[in-house]
Amino acid sequence: MNMTVQTSSVDTAPPLWQMRLKLALKNFKSGWAIFKENPIGIIGLVLIVFFALLAALHPILMATAWEPAVYDPITGYDFEILIHPSPPTWIPQPDNPMWEFSFRHVLGTDPLGRDVLSQLMFSTRSEFLLGVGAALVTVLIATTIGAVAAYYGGLVDMIFMRIADVVYMLPFIALLIVLSSLFDFELIHLALVYGVLAGFGGTTIVIKSQALTIKVKAYIEAARIAGGNDLHIIFTHLVPNLLPLSFLYMMFTVTGAIFSEAVLSFFGLLDIRMSWGLMIQTAQAAGYLLNSWKYWYLMFPSGVAITLLCAAFYLVGRALDEVVNPRLRKR
Amino acid sequence: MAEATPILSVQDLVMHYTTRKGDVSAVDGVSFDLENGKSLGLVGESGCGKTSIAFSLMKLLPDNAKIKGGSIYVGGTDILQLSHDELLKFRWQRIAMVFQAAMNALNPVYTVGDQIIEALDLHWGDLSREQSRERIGQLFEMVGLDPKLMDRYPHEFSGGMRQRAVIAMALSCNPDIIIADEPTTALDVIVQDRILRELKKIQEKLGMSMIYISHDIAVIAEVSDRIGVMYAGRMAELADGVDIFEHPLHPYTYALMRAFPSIKGEKHELVTLPGEPPDLLFPPPGCRFHPRCPRATDVCKQEQPPFADNGRGHFVACWHPMEANHE
Amino acid sequence: MGKYILKRVGQILVTLLIFQTLLFVILTALPGDVTNRMLTNPDIPPEVRERTRQALGLDDPVLIQYGRWLGNFLTGNLGVSYSEYPKPVIDILLERIPRTVVLFLTASIVQFVVGFTTGRALAWRRGGFFEYGSTVVGVTLYTVFTPWFGLMMIFIFGARLRWLPLGKFLDPVIWRNAEITGLADSASKGNYVFTRMLLTASIAVVLWLLLTIFTRNMSTRRRNRARLGGTFLILATAVGIWAASEIGYLAWDIVKHMILPVVTITLVGFAGTMLLTRQTMLETLREDYIQTARAKGLPEKVVRDKHAARNAMLPVFTGLIINLPGAISGGIITETIFSWPGMGITLLNATTSEDIPLVMGTLSFIGLLTLTAHLVADVTYAFLDPRIRY
Repeated sequence: MNMTVQTSSVDTAPPLWQMRLKLALKNFKSGWAIFKENPIGIIGLVLIVFFALLAALHPILMATAWEPAVYDPITGYDFEILIHPSPPTWIPQPDNPMWEFSFRHVLGTDPLGRDVLSQLMFSTRSEFLLGVGAALVTVLIATTIGAVAAYYGGLVDMIFMRIADVVYMLPFIALLIVLSSLFDFELIHLALVYGVLAGFGGTTIVIKSQALTIKVKAYIEAARIAGGNDLHIIFTHLVPNLLPLSFLYMMFTVTGAIFSEAVLSFFGLLDIRMSWGLMIQTAQAAGYLLNSWKYWYLMFPSGVAITLLCAAFYLVGRALDEVVNPRLRKR
Repeated sequence: MAEATPILSVQDLVMHYTTRKGDVSAVDGVSFDLENGKSLGLVGESGCGKTSIAFSLMKLLPDNAKIKGGSIYVGGTDILQLSHDELLKFRWQRIAMVFQAAMNALNPVYTVGDQIIEALDLHWGDLSREQSRERIGQLFEMVGLDPKLMDRYPHEFSGGMRQRAVIAMALSCNPDIIIADEPTTALDVIVQDRILRELKKIQEKLGMSMIYISHDIAVIAEVSDRIGVMYAGRMAELADGVDIFEHPLHPYTYALMRAFPSIKGEKHELVTLPGEPPDLLFPPPGCRFHPRCPRATDVCKQEQPPFADNGRGHFVACWHPMEANHE
Repeated sequence: MGKYILKRVGQILVTLLIFQTLLFVILTALPGDVTNRMLTNPDIPPEVRERTRQALGLDDPVLIQYGRWLGNFLTGNLGVSYSEYPKPVIDILLERIPRTVVLFLTASIVQFVVGFTTGRALAWRRGGFFEYGSTVVGVTLYTVFTPWFGLMMIFIFGARLRWLPLGKFLDPVIWRNAEITGLADSASKGNYVFTRMLLTASIAVVLWLLLTIFTRNMSTRRRNRARLGGTFLILATAVGIWAASEIGYLAWDIVKHMILPVVTITLVGFAGTMLLTRQTMLETLREDYIQTARAKGLPEKVVRDKHAARNAMLPVFTGLIINLPGAISGGIITETIFSWPGMGITLLNATTSEDIPLVMGTLSFIGLLTLTAHLVADVTYAFLDPRIRY
């Protein structure tokens, strides 16, 4: 009798992963309900989607409407326009008799004759890759170290936390300036280095303190009594409960990574072919910035894009903060 | 009663909290008098409106609270009619307060002495530093603290010391009335008892009036001349201390006293009241106690009982009061 | 208190050691050895390369090199700069550190005061256009791309409106014609004036501290009056002396060069302080001692400024400490944009010209600066919060 009941329950009960998935979905739904009440988070999310669309649209445009020889973000050149940089083609130019209305260069061309809009859209994708890449590295490191340090405590904890103190106190930009000039940095290296620095530093400290509060919960004790080994407990019980917080810190890492990239490109220290920071640098190096408003299209698109994308991830992070930390909610 | 006019007279006080769900009637038509030099104890479960009364007496209300009616006369003036500036002068000078949870009643970043000096400067004009410190020294001695402690910070004080410091602060401007809101709740029983006795002694020496507020009738029974029992924003019973103990008339008072071990050490069964205090967003009609009252009848469900004097200054709001010779 | 500071100093020293180790690891991880880079540099004669090789002891075992690296840092022997040969690195740094410190300190204080004041006002006047407007403006500025924003500031206030200089530390025309006996070039004239400005500021701060200590035991009203009057007197005297002196106009030139970077750092950073202040003020206002203060009959303004704000300042200050590395990074960027000849631009120029001794020296000192700032902030915090002080 007992046996039959047990087997039938095994037959009918959904597998464990399905239950976990359902639970996760439920958590996600309740989190989303809180998130969407906050206009700040929605603004951020809309901005991120907007930039993602920009990035996705670029290869499509290159394949269809845009002629590669003219619109290539790095090597393109428009021979039909005599003087570069040239202003957006849809704005009337009374002093130029050649001007006729078109959307040929919506944001004008840069000093090297390349289309600004194409550069802007092309760079978006790498900004995303950089940000998300760095964030993944950070979260991977920070969550693992945080969980392990909190779980074992003692010497392990002390060593990692001392390292975290040092890394966290470093002025990132100064270190990145040096590293990027001593070694030849490409985007992927920057993502890695930034991810590692952020992962060993402040994020670890935050995640570890969260892990400490989870470690003392009853189900961890129960798992230990049930005979679960340490690794099993860390990765099936501790880490999943740290993920919401990790996700939150991913957002701030993305902001930091994009910002750093822009600064380094702006200083001309990165070995990359095109990015928002580089766009400003090109314009500044060619001496167009301090002359007049006339060259606004060299200055604004990239500057505003960096600001907006950083702001977008930052705002989403602030809103997620309210989801993850109930203390901050307005009730 | 041909005695002098009371120092404090509260009449039909009505106070509401505005919340998103609606108005909470925290205090609903409470009246009582306090004679000069006497003490009054207000007792009731948490949320019954006793602290709301205390804050109304100082007109120290949160933004969402509003006094809807009634009057509060202190020494002949209605404080509800005072202007803002008059109110600032009135506070602490006439009515001072010993706060609930004295742990946090002192600002952690200023020395205890400085926090008292602040009140002195405000109400007693510009005393010199030496005069102020002399005054604080007196106050500290009065409440049983070493005057040297006045330059210490609150976190250096133990719970009992902090409570004494808060009492010293309340005494600083010689107020007519001191309200002690759960003055000793966070302290251990021995310290509790000692502080209350000393407070009583100080009160008698200085001839002040006191209002004690507590959820524990046993704690304040000893120090209060009169005791008012509150339930769900209304005064259920108000009588002399001895009277209310020996002849409780309201079923709630009766239950309340049976809910604590007797202070005289008599053995009786501890009674717990069934049910919860009502949600004051939707108070029950009639007598607010009727859902929990063993003596409730139809009239209790429909009509609010009058708060009437049953002789010898023993007020009770009940349609079916307990017999005076009940026990 | 002494114990607390000692403990913090110990922690900071350990951190500094780890930081130095990290720099050493980076240095040794470089492809080839450092002197290889000098091969292609025609400005550096071969004997210098040989001397550097020996000075760096590149043939010794790693541990000995490591020990020497630490020893050199402790004795301030950071080698000779390649790009400004034959100036020792330490001399270059000693000239530039004060400039960075002054700019960073001024900007931090202004930023804190502005952020704290607006945040305090925000907590008091909830809702309405004021709150909405300052939050939006603040967050936008907080996430703005700093170099771009700095360039915009230069463009608007320097190039277009011509109110302020475009950047740098000094106006070369004014300084070339300035007469200071015994000094020929503008750089040393600049240092001469700047050192005296620093001295004045330090004396003023010491005097102000003395004023605070001596007025401590006065009655409240007299104390407030004495402090206000004393502060005014100190400031007036300092400004008066400079205005009357012959090099006053030169000092004013330096101050003018500082305005734009300080304003930029403030605008970029104040929103963080503002939002944090608003939040902690709202939390503090629910505390029991606020109720006590009101019960005492204190006017709302005093309750807000003396009781609530003073306590709300503590978490805000902690936030400031946490943000310190970010602030220093921001400072480095801003310095570079405004060509302010401090640590930031030194680092950038040294890296682009592959001046490795200068790079390592600058980085070491930026680290040291960050840690010192941390220590100072921690000690200041201990003075603000009596619960830590005793």
